[in-house]
Amino acid sequence: MTEVKVGDEVPPWEMPCVERARMRTMAAILRDPNPIHWDPNLVSKLPLGAGERTINQGPLGLSYMINMLHEWAGPACIRRIFMTFPKLVLSEDAVTARGVVTDVNSDGTVVCDIWLERDGDRLLEGNATIAFPD
Amino acid sequence: MDIPSEESVKRVVGHQFPGGEYLIAHWENFLLTECTGAEALPDGLAHPVALFHVPFLGANTSIGEMFELGQAKSEFSIGIESYEWEFFRPLLEEELYQISGSILSVDRVKAEGRIYDRIKFRFDIRKDDQDIARSTIIWHYNRGRYDRS
Repeated sequence: MTEVKVGDEVPPWEMPCVERARMRTMAAILRDPNPIHWDPNLVSKLPLGAGERTINQGPLGLSYMINMLHEWAGPACIRRIFMTFPKLVLSEDAVTARGVVTDVNSDGTVVCDIWLERDGDRLLEGNATIAFPD
Repeated sequence: MDIPSEESVKRVVGHQFPGGEYLIAHWENFLLTECTGAEALPDGLAHPVALFHVPFLGANTSIGEMFELGQAKSEFSIGIESYEWEFFRPLLEEELYQISGSILSVDRVKAEGRIYDRIKFRFDIRKDDQDIARSTIIWHYNRGRYDRS
């Protein structure tokens, strides 16, 4: 197993532009009828301060952190993820997934704090337990 | 302010969704993974983000029905508190999974000027009596604001 210790940073993963087209595809896959993900005119009329931008699905924001963990520890590494959503991710945002190791368990699994940020501002925050391949 | 009574919302605690089966088709996994900005995963692995929609579609419910069960004022009145996803085995595409789901709890919360109902859902994915994954979702059904003075 890769030698990992508390305080290690997970190599960051960048989404340079949150695309509206991907939100529309995601809405169709999820069968999610909520127009905040595809109707910018409607979003502009809501008291969200988002202007004429659409709102990224929560799971999509979370997926950027999954991609970061996969690139670090392999595509079957995730055992558990817990995520909160304090701020919105909007179309055209450039966001970066980041993480830091907070614990290494006796069974070899690794616990990380993970978050998604825009210009240093944390939009999503949570933690994950991962297992490196043998 | 027209707010459903706490008792009427709490009636859904213990509600079991019909349950059923779900297969993540290759095309679905491909498009889903593309939405995340990643390349397709190897060995038939499904992208873990599938643990958002596969449980409720497989349990034969929908985002719309989950909003209705909690008496959401509108689709804009829902907020996410948290998602907890546990993977006991990797999710695979083209595998048929058995899925069950229920509403675990409802709590009326008055805090920081907001009134909302905090509703917790849980979904389990199994295959041949083996636990594969679990999703626990907590949503806030916003009811309005109250005067803190």
